[in-house]
Amino acid sequence: MVRLVDLRVELAGLELRNPVVVASGPLGVSLGLMKRAEEAGAAAITLKTATLRPREGHPNPVVYELPYGLLNSMGLPNPGAEEMGRLISEAKAVMRVPLIASVAAQSPREAEEVAERLRGADALELNASCPHVRGLGAELMDDPQLVADIVSALRSFGRPVFVKLSAHGDWIGVASRALGAGASGLVAINTLKAMAIDVRAKCPVLGGVYGGLSGPAIHPVAVRVVYELHREFPDVPIIGVGGVETWVEAAELILAGATAVGVATALRRGFHVIGEIVEGLRAYVAGEGLASIRELVGAAHR
Amino acid sequence: MYVGSEVLRAEPVGPDVVRYVLKLERRLGSSPGQFVMVWVPRVGEVALSVAREEGREIHLLVARKGRVTGFMHDNVREGWRLYVRGPLGRGFAVAKGTALLVGGGVGVAPLIHLCAALKGAGARVVAAIGLRSADYRALAEDLASCADEAHVATEDGSLGIRGTAVDVAEALLSERHFDFVYVCGKEAMMRQVIELAMARGVRVEASLERLVKCGIGVCGACVLEPLGLRVCADGPAFDGDTLTRAGDFGRWWHDAAGRRVPLQP
Ligand SMILES: Cc1cc2nc3c(=O)[nH]c(=O)nc-3n(C[C@H](O)[C@H](O)[C@H](O)COP(=O)(O)OP(=O)(O)OC[C@H]3O[C@@H](n4cnc5c(N)ncnc54)[C@H](O)[C@@H]3O)c2cc1C
Ligand SMILES: Cc1cc2nc3c(=O)[nH]c(=O)nc-3n(C[C@H](O)[C@H](O)[C@H](O)COP(=O)(O)O)c2cc1C
Ligand code: FES
Repeated sequence: MVRLVDLRVELAGLELRNPVVVASGPLGVSLGLMKRAEEAGAAAITLKTATLRPREGHPNPVVYELPYGLLNSMGLPNPGAEEMGRLISEAKAVMRVPLIASVAAQSPREAEEVAERLRGADALELNASCPHVRGLGAELMDDPQLVADIVSALRSFGRPVFVKLSAHGDWIGVASRALGAGASGLVAINTLKAMAIDVRAKCPVLGGVYGGLSGPAIHPVAVRVVYELHREFPDVPIIGVGGVETWVEAAELILAGATAVGVATALRRGFHVIGEIVEGLRAYVAGEGLASIRELVGAAHR
Repeated sequence: MYVGSEVLRAEPVGPDVVRYVLKLERRLGSSPGQFVMVWVPRVGEVALSVAREEGREIHLLVARKGRVTGFMHDNVREGWRLYVRGPLGRGFAVAKGTALLVGGGVGVAPLIHLCAALKGAGARVVAAIGLRSADYRALAEDLASCADEAHVATEDGSLGIRGTAVDVAEALLSERHFDFVYVCGKEAMMRQVIELAMARGVRVEASLERLVKCGIGVCGACVLEPLGLRVCADGPAFDGDTLTRAGDFGRWWHDAAGRRVPLQP
């Protein structure tokens, strides 16, 4: 018999029924998909990254499947902040789990304009780490001051602000500046910069040439980044993301210091993977003879 | 990872439709209604139904639509290399008994593959095919020759009866009993066929198109609201019941930025 265990966690003021959240991206701009993820057990939903103006993203091919992961070069397609804001209002009316809105911007002013339109969300996430769109995303990793300024701007909306880090660049430095500017939590990691060339076609496969690698291949990288972030900032809530396919990878990130874990690529196998990860964590916590999953956060450091 | 292929034949089967016969490096193993993403290096990648699969050969029926299909029509000939990933999506349920296959224009593509599978499973197949004119005669040939019985309608009456595939389907459904109806074509047409079948208590499935980007269910581009159905992963074949609850069906499309725009007629 499985003992009753408490899977609830608190994340910068957000009450989560379990530690499994959907990371930004896989649900696109769809209330229907958000609801399916909630029904499947997700404890929070991160929306697709929104920019001030609509973006069509890169031309196909936008993904390349590998035996050990997935390359994507979506190019941040989204209908713009205005439309995303409407989706958030609609979603808030019918969904019970917290919604985290993801923002990409090049300046504090622009970030403010985006966030203004997304203020219906329960929290904001600054995407400082998209590896395949020039000027938006990962370039921020080279400019900790800009990240700090954008975080300050986002703070004015009175919602928790998370910063989503890349595993490239000085992520400890960026995290430190962002936290100094009032960020409430960290999300790590986004996809790793990558590309693929077809040996017979002899040209890059992805329409956007460069892409981001996700899935099992990047999991150990995510574990390392989360481990170091937790060591550096032990009181800061972290959403660990990268290669979570089963409860095992989820547990690993939690032991490294994540309070919650995000899933993206695993959803290619279906929404049921969310429930499987949640139930797997429940059995794991019970099997370890613990009452709450919170006891495991960062336990690998002890 | 792509499966490489060589174009064995590229033959027009109508004024703006080309049939491509590809020889793949290895067997695809598709079931009827599934699709492939076809990559034309340096040009782009599009979703196409597998119209037939025999050994390492597959057939694709490609209508000229925009950038990539236009490039294919203008440039891709015998000897070209194309790259294929798949099979993707969920195809049709292959039932026994008597089936009515309703195809409009290039919508016959997945039905050809389905017809072969149904016949293999011992079903009896009646086809109702709607074309613009007799110029598309060759487009109908493969389905017509596979089915036990085929009826063709053209908009201008230049071949078969004058009318649409819906007219033919309606007449057939009124006259006799079918165990299953399968339909692929314009959504307005599919909607009517679904209503006709459901009104008679006949199970029905339809195959849909939306803008497909990833093709594997991880980007949300191809979604049908309000149910959150991904055409590339939950479909492209859906049953009539589900589609009557999918408000976007026959009405809305999402463009490349994810904005809702009216479906093109
Ligand atoms: C599962 C599946 C199977 C398919 N099977 C076939 C097949 O067997 N044969 C075939 O010829 N085609 C098939 N298609 C359609 C085919 O994928 C598209 O026609 C093709 O992607 C067009 O690419 P393009 O670059 O030529 O056009 P583009 O340059 O992309 O131009 C097409 C434009 O029209 C828009 N558009 C297209 N249809 C609509 C609409 N109904 N409402 C609103 N906007 C629209 C698109 O968003 C796009 O902007 C299938 C699609 C799917 C999803
Ligand atoms: C198709 C796809 C789209 C994504 N879109 C976004 C996005 O819009 N914003 C963002 O911050 N991360 C995006 N990501 C990154 C994921 O949120 C996640 O950080 C990364 O994929 C690693 O997790 P995974 O291994 O579970 O996929 C996307 C990932 C994928 C695969
Ligand atoms: S095209 Fe990406 S989910 Fe269907």
